[in-house]
Amino acid sequence: MSRFRNFHNYLRRNLYARLSLWIVLLSSLVFLAALNYLFFLARQTVRREAEQRAVQILDNTVLRVNGILEDVEIAADNLEWLVKRGIDAPDKMVDYAQEIVRNNSVLSSGSISFEPYFYPEKGLYYSIFAYRTYSGDVRWQQEGDEDYQYFYLDWYLFPKLLQKPCWTEPYDDVDESDDKDMDTGMIVSYCKPIFKEDSVLVGSISLDVSLKWLSETVTAVKPYPNSYCILVGRGGTYLVHPDPDKLFYQTLFTEGLVHADPDRYALGHSMQQREEGMQVINLDGQKSFVFYKPLSTTGWSVAIVCPDSDILGGFYRISRIVMYIILASMILIFFLSAWLTHRQLTPLSTLADAAENIASGNLDSTLPEIDRIDEIGVLNRSFRNMQSSLVSHIDQLTKATAARESLNRELQIASNIQMAMVPHVFPSREDVDVYAMMAPAREVGGDLYDFFIQDEKLYFCIGDVSGKGIPASLMMSVARAMFRILAKQGLSPAEIARQINDLASEDNEQMMFVTMFMASLDLQSGVLNYCNCGHNAPVLISGRGKKPHFLDCKPNMAIGIMGGFAFEGQTVANFRGKSLFVYTDGLNEAENAEHEQFGEDRMLFLLAEENFTNAQTTIETMHQAVTAHVNGAAQSDDLTMLCISLSA
Amino acid sequence: MKKAFLLCLALLLLLNALPLRAQENLKPFVFMPQWTPQAQFAGYYVALEKGFYREEGLDVHINHPSSTSTPMARIKDHECDAITLQLVQAMEMLDNGLSLVNILQTSMNNGLVIVSRTEQNPMEMKGAKVVTWRAGFGQIAECMSVELSLDFDWIQAAESLNLYVVGAVDAALAMSYNEYYQLLQTNLIPSENSVYRFCDHGFNIPEDGIYMSRETYAKDPDRARRFAIASRRGWEWAAAHPEETLDIVMSYVQRFRVSTNRILQRLMLDEVLRLQRNKESGEQEFRLLPEMVKQASDLMYRNGMLKRQIGIEELLP
Repeated sequence: MSRFRNFHNYLRRNLYARLSLWIVLLSSLVFLAALNYLFFLARQTVRREAEQRAVQILDNTVLRVNGILEDVEIAADNLEWLVKRGIDAPDKMVDYAQEIVRNNSVLSSGSISFEPYFYPEKGLYYSIFAYRTYSGDVRWQQEGDEDYQYFYLDWYLFPKLLQKPCWTEPYDDVDESDDKDMDTGMIVSYCKPIFKEDSVLVGSISLDVSLKWLSETVTAVKPYPNSYCILVGRGGTYLVHPDPDKLFYQTLFTEGLVHADPDRYALGHSMQQREEGMQVINLDGQKSFVFYKPLSTTGWSVAIVCPDSDILGGFYRISRIVMYIILASMILIFFLSAWLTHRQLTPLSTLADAAENIASGNLDSTLPEIDRIDEIGVLNRSFRNMQSSLVSHIDQLTKATAARESLNRELQIASNIQMAMVPHVFPSREDVDVYAMMAPAREVGGDLYDFFIQDEKLYFCIGDVSGKGIPASLMMSVARAMFRILAKQGLSPAEIARQINDLASEDNEQMMFVTMFMASLDLQSGVLNYCNCGHNAPVLISGRGKKPHFLDCKPNMAIGIMGGFAFEGQTVANFRGKSLFVYTDGLNEAENAEHEQFGEDRMLFLLAEENFTNAQTTIETMHQAVTAHVNGAAQSDDLTMLCISLSA
Repeated sequence: MKKAFLLCLALLLLLNALPLRAQENLKPFVFMPQWTPQAQFAGYYVALEKGFYREEGLDVHINHPSSTSTPMARIKDHECDAITLQLVQAMEMLDNGLSLVNILQTSMNNGLVIVSRTEQNPMEMKGAKVVTWRAGFGQIAECMSVELSLDFDWIQAAESLNLYVVGAVDAALAMSYNEYYQLLQTNLIPSENSVYRFCDHGFNIPEDGIYMSRETYAKDPDRARRFAIASRRGWEWAAAHPEETLDIVMSYVQRFRVSTNRILQRLMLDEVLRLQRNKESGEQEFRLLPEMVKQASDLMYRNGMLKRQIGIEELLP
């Protein structure tokens, strides 16, 4: 499995291997389709030619066997003529029988036999049997006795019953003779009835042919190395067959008695019907072509059995060789194609390496020299252009980054300065508790707060400049500086507001303005004077357990909009025991990712919940709550909070 | 020392003499089945090969007849001790004056069939040429021919098969275990209608049994009894071990160059064993029943094949 994965990965990584494999696969498919068709045609041709050859050989065989059989039939005719001529001289039969066997080399023996008591002087049996010995001599003997009653044998009964000449089925001629020189074995006999005066049957002639001899003639036919010839009798018996277990003992239908074999049955039936033809059947586990043809008068049939492997053996051998060649060619094509593709794609690989080098930051690395005008050449040129564009772009980017970094540094300094402007040290007194925090949305912000104690009076303010960033921060610095200068002169918050407004309104081309809440708390008397200039109304917490509420504020304008505006101050007569929570809109308008605002209600709820402990805790609680609400979303506005509490 | 030597010598002589005596006692028992070697006689081959005869103290020789020399002639001439015969053959011989004893009845059913060369029912082929065995076995068919006025023209032949194959006759008698299968393997039986089985038409007369001439039997009944016992044992063993039996049969078949094959012999063995079983009990019973003899006697007497009725007592020892 892992090998396959490795191979798969190898293919995925190597275009040339993948290409080669595809080429080989597709060409194999094309080759196979073409070869298949070619093989089909070749097979048809080979088979047709083999059939023609087999049929021709079969015809010759049949002709040869028929020739032998006809010789015997002619000999029988001659003998019949002799017997009829000498019918009245029984002893002449000895000469006739011997003569006919001697003169016909095809005959192994022959007999002239007569009906019981046909020659009264010869008794019940009179049969002259002439035979050829192993040495070729022709001898004779008289046959017929209690143990050999020839009247009941096939060769005598066939012509008698059929009243015409006929061939017997093969039979064993082994045990009827005492002569040890007699050539014995299976024989077939051509029998002919002997009629006296053409109507009275008086006996029969039987001329015998050794089946061994006939068999040799037939088995000599061997069109292919493993093919063989068979001779089948009227009852389907194998008269000639290379397998001695089948010879005479089995028929074409024997196996069908226990296992149905329709193909073999069809063949046997066709042969029995004396038909001529060819059938393809499975013989002894091998597909074979059987060509068959009947013999003339015997009722037998000759067949040539050619195993499929024989007829198509040469074809299969060539097919195999062609397949091996194709396989070898495919392997060669694969390697050649891989080599060629690899060679063609090498510049691409070098280019890929160079691109990788460039991608790793080495912009000056040299691209390979590819002197080609094909796609790879175009790609190389594109890479060169890309590299030079990249170098110039990176250069510009480096410069811009350097400039930005310088600006950032300056901004950081400005931020530090701005943060340093607002007081970070809170008075540590028993009677008054002050705490504040400021978080700009950018490096510098437009919010401000300030406080100081002078002559037992606590002056404090909070403000929010319109806009953000550097312009707002500059405005914030001016507003904060003015507040501190004017407050130090002991002016009331409304007066301070008026003066700052008048100064800020002059030459305000940028139309910037600042909302401010400014107040002075007399730490002795507990009187709180304040003036709200368009800022969010602070929240007054009247004591522990009391519900916080917004401080009543007059609708004064924001500072810097219109010069000469008369700001109206307000007073809380007794601030003792009370707390004031002052903030910018960066708190109540703080938004999370879903653009939901923190809200004033939430702020009031938290202030009530927190149940004022001290200024720092209140501010930190509120800061944690707003941080949790925003939940990582970008801070859109500066946030400033100030909390003041006076002991009772 | 001298005594011991003499004792040893005497013992040696005694040992040498024993087989000689035994051989002298074992007079050959010649047995002749009615046909060439085939599974029809499997039980006897088994009894011989497995030593059942020897165990009974018999030196049995199985001689087969030639195609023209019948066992009936041999037993008449005392050329053999026992033969196999069909019941009807034995009765015919008895009727002709040869006294026979049935020492073992193997068959309990009839296996005779008549097969026509055309699709016509053989029993409707009046005057047809029908080939029968020269050696006998066709008696029931001959009775039928007379009884049904079929007037068959009986052609006696050493073997019935080839005359049928070449079409020299209209029909052939066949044994259901032998020629019938041989004809089947020639593919020449036109249809099932061409086959008439005598057992299916009220003529289930049993066939093979072992017979001895009463004269031979009387000389040594015990010897006959022992032969019958060993033969029966042979058949029982054959029924229990068909494959091994078939091996033995094939060795005989090959030795005598009989034109047959293992498939045919297997079919024959199965059929012969089937014929040996009583249809009612399903068992091999090895006995001759009085009603069997009576049925055969009635049929043969009625059709003039017996001059007188023959009862079972004439056949039994």
